Amino acid sequence: MPLQNNPPTHGDPGLQPERTDLAWGRTTLSMVVAAAIFLRWLPHHGWFVGTLIAAAVVTALAINLTRKRRFHRAIHGIQQENMAPNIASTAAVAVSVVILAVLGIFTVLFLPLT
Amino acid sequence: MTATNSQGSGRSGFSARILGGGTEPDPRFTLANERTFLAWIRTSLALLAGGVAVEAFMADLFAPELRRTIAVLLLVLALVIGGGSFFRWLNVERAMRHKTPLPLPWIAPVLAAGGALVAAVMVIFVLVRAT
Repeated sequence: MPLQNNPPTHGDPGLQPERTDLAWGRTTLSMVVAAAIFLRWLPHHGWFVGTLIAAAVVTALAINLTRKRRFHRAIHGIQQENMAPNIASTAAVAVSVVILAVLGIFTVLFLPLT
Repeated sequence: MTATNSQGSGRSGFSARILGGGTEPDPRFTLANERTFLAWIRTSLALLAGGVAVEAFMADLFAPELRRTIAVLLLVLALVIGGGSFFRWLNVERAMRHKTPLPLPWIAPVLAAGGALVAAVMVIFVLVRAT
């Protein structure tokens, strides 16, 4: 007998739901690493950079907390042969990366290292 | 339940409008597009981390103007790749929904040119310093 449906099974030999889930996991890891490098600015720029780091970590955390939901949605999509694209997740990640980059540029240009 | 319809499976009108109608493609293609988007986002995050690292860790090694130039170039590249990856994802999704050829990835040449530009700036500064 197969194991209990936790997580549900999908019968896709390409393991697309698993690979997509792991891709999200790597992305959160990259985001935390990027935030960790911002830590070097903390003694120079204080709360401004602190907010930046907090924003990146919160984004990574939010992605991780919704991973299971996305994984199950993908499995369901494979089962049904019909899946709507994840527009909210992709937009949220892209927007947070853009915000981080803009604030990073602002820091380099307008907040001198002391 | 019909397998495909123009609204997607119970999507809001907003999402349907952004995706521009058409029919849902094979879910494997949707997931593959999502993974490709995430790979671009990680590229952007690596550039972001690199840009911040150059500014934050190279204070004793690089002249301030070199440091700032390289950091801003990398961060602008991260910004363009990060923002562009979403539009790339959206355009691929739209093309798949309408069964039209996939669009060319303009962020790929941008990344290549940007990387080459950063390297060229480094080379010029090293040569100038050596003389």
